[in-house]
Amino acid sequence: MTTTLDAPAEAPVRNTKPRKRIGFHGLMMTPGTALLALLSVIPLVTITAMSFSRVRLLGGVVFDNVGLTYWARLFGDLDLWVQWLRTIAFFVLTVGLEMLLGLGFALCLWKLVRARNLLLTLFLLPMFVAPVIVGLLGRFLTDSTFGLYTWLLGLVGYHGDILGGGTSAFLAVVAMDVWEWTPLITLVVLAGLTAVPQSIREAAALDGANGWQTFRHVLLPSISGVLLVALLIRSMDAIRYFDIISVTTNGGPADATKTVPIRLYETAFRFFDLGYAAVIGLVMLVVTILIARAFVRVLDRKGLTR
Amino acid sequence: MTGAPPRGVARRSVLRGALAGGAALATGGLLGACGVRQDAPRIATDDRWRQFAGATINLISENTAPTAAIAANLRPFTDLTGINVNIVTLELSALVQKVALDLAGGESQYHVIYADPYQVLAPYSKGLVDLRELATQPGLPEFTGWDDFIPTQLDAAGRFGDRDKIFAVPYDCPTMIWQYRADLFDKYGARMADDLGFDPTPGLDRTWDEYLRIARWFNDNADEVAYGTGHQAKQHDSLMCDFSNVLWSYGGDYFDNGTEVGLYGTTDPGPCRLGSDQAIAAAEFYQRLLSIADPSSKTWDWNGLAPALSSGRIAMCVNWHEYAAANEKAMPGRFGYAPLPRGPVRSANHYGGCGIGINGNTQPNERMAAWLFVLWATSTQTQLANLKSEAGGGTPTRQSVYDLPEVRAAEHRPSAMPNILAAPAVVTAWQPENIGLRPKIPMWNECDTAVYTQLSKMLAGDSSPADTMRGAATKIDRITARGWAA
Repeated sequence: MTTTLDAPAEAPVRNTKPRKRIGFHGLMMTPGTALLALLSVIPLVTITAMSFSRVRLLGGVVFDNVGLTYWARLFGDLDLWVQWLRTIAFFVLTVGLEMLLGLGFALCLWKLVRARNLLLTLFLLPMFVAPVIVGLLGRFLTDSTFGLYTWLLGLVGYHGDILGGGTSAFLAVVAMDVWEWTPLITLVVLAGLTAVPQSIREAAALDGANGWQTFRHVLLPSISGVLLVALLIRSMDAIRYFDIISVTTNGGPADATKTVPIRLYETAFRFFDLGYAAVIGLVMLVVTILIARAFVRVLDRKGLTR
Repeated sequence: MTGAPPRGVARRSVLRGALAGGAALATGGLLGACGVRQDAPRIATDDRWRQFAGATINLISENTAPTAAIAANLRPFTDLTGINVNIVTLELSALVQKVALDLAGGESQYHVIYADPYQVLAPYSKGLVDLRELATQPGLPEFTGWDDFIPTQLDAAGRFGDRDKIFAVPYDCPTMIWQYRADLFDKYGARMADDLGFDPTPGLDRTWDEYLRIARWFNDNADEVAYGTGHQAKQHDSLMCDFSNVLWSYGGDYFDNGTEVGLYGTTDPGPCRLGSDQAIAAAEFYQRLLSIADPSSKTWDWNGLAPALSSGRIAMCVNWHEYAAANEKAMPGRFGYAPLPRGPVRSANHYGGCGIGINGNTQPNERMAAWLFVLWATSTQTQLANLKSEAGGGTPTRQSVYDLPEVRAAEHRPSAMPNILAAPAVVTAWQPENIGLRPKIPMWNECDTAVYTQLSKMLAGDSSPADTMRGAATKIDRITARGWAA
């Protein structure tokens, strides 16, 4: 006798994956997050609407829809594309120089045994100066009549007007930014260097690694995460660089220092062409987000965002 | 213990309460902010000047010498009217931003506005009050002084489009004139005349070409100064101002009917005329002039140029006449002032004066209180007080002040009113045939930027004078074609 047993009724498959809940911490953060979202979303929506409108100010702000007019203008605006190229050149030069110099100075300070704190304090001073003041200082120091740097350059045979020539003015504003923000990179890298375990360095020394090899194969990989963070911080700032150029050259001479932020300011607050300014601003936002995302992705790959 | 009642207040209740409280506060604040604005109180009195005693009005002005003088001496106005005045002084571009945003906000945070003809009056005239209505309003002090203002200034600084309306009362009048080291001209005059073959005395008889030759002579022969001339040729508004003197003197202009467009303004100026042969000739000369000028000229605006002259670096320059006081302070008695040289067509002296107007968003009583201030600030006695002020002070916009015996006497050294030493030159400069007026159009700011950017490229050697002028014309046409919606 065979007995056939009915197969047991298939139990309903239960989703064993725990349901996502906001949780207490999430709840506590909700008001702040909502407020932040509100503060970001409202301007973003407004500026997006503005980019499709001609904005009138008298009698209250009024948006007259003009469709894609301003977006179309963007593609035909040759000056703006040149300004983007200039901004990228500026970005690469300032951030590149700051990273190189910051790393170099950090290594020097790290090796110092005596007076490191004193030197570090002095070294960090430019970072605490407001960019507008840096611009004013730069303007005075490069003034063709009484500027100290002009005088010093005169001693080595350069008699041109620093802020009067296109290339020299561009290099001068780059130098001013580098002067101000290299200390930040130095500080960040120094913090990274001091966190490298001594045992690793000792092991490298025992293995017979020379200075360059230690730096290349031990120190650099150990501080690469910190370097990326420093790069991210400075990149976000460099792409929006405004104050120093505004104070020193205001985009001149011959547009040699007119970067996109200067153009944006000019379009929005000198010409009150707010619709087109919104387009320039949105493009700047997208570029900034893309750069930030690229760096964050690299950090993520290194597991440094967790 | 499951059935026990919770002790104290539950966490959730606290959170709900906090949220509700926050929302109530925020709503209350918002509603409060949107509340109805209170007008200034009006007192029943026979004294027309004191009917708004206790009111407060705000003046926003560029950081100019006349406003510095008024700010330093507000007491007579407060004593006369009982009205308090707050003065905000800013750099011009910051002022324009604040005014535009204030007009957009509709709150009239600033009741009295320094109305630059090109950056405030032309784009935002619809946001300003027609002052003729206040001038004839019963119950306010009678005002019949329009004819006393220098006519070209009243038109250029006060009107826009509609000739029957006046949106601003002429308040200051900086004008570009030839400023020079009279002591050096006295010392070298005869030798220079022999070498150059003409009398170098500055004035309407000189030409721009002679100006250049005088400058070159100083470069080569005078040890007292490093260069003969300096210019305000930074990529800035100043470069357009400096170049325009030459442009007009050569018969060039920005648009057809340049005088009309400069005096009364328009929203549709027609095609740009910078590509004309006269404009190109002017640009060629300007490039030549800058090639022998102090090389630092390319980094100077008017504020950079003025110290170069007063410190003895250059022998002469073209700058706003109100720097006369600083010149006299630096080297008393050594400077001379003259109208600008002639080009092939005329002498053109760039007028850069501004008026003060009243915000159209003001409440009725605020508006009248603001009008009392405008009346007082532009009155003969206040302009005279400004002229004497140690805080700076500009030069008058009323003919009656220039006619006062003590002012006439001050035109000669030693003068207690150093700015008035430039009066003979500027009075000549304001004659209709000598005045230089940039176009009064709402989109001027953008056109101005196109002009000085192209000129800066020319001075840097990046483009020829012809390409510079044609390039500027193309850009300006593109800008004006977009029109203007305030």
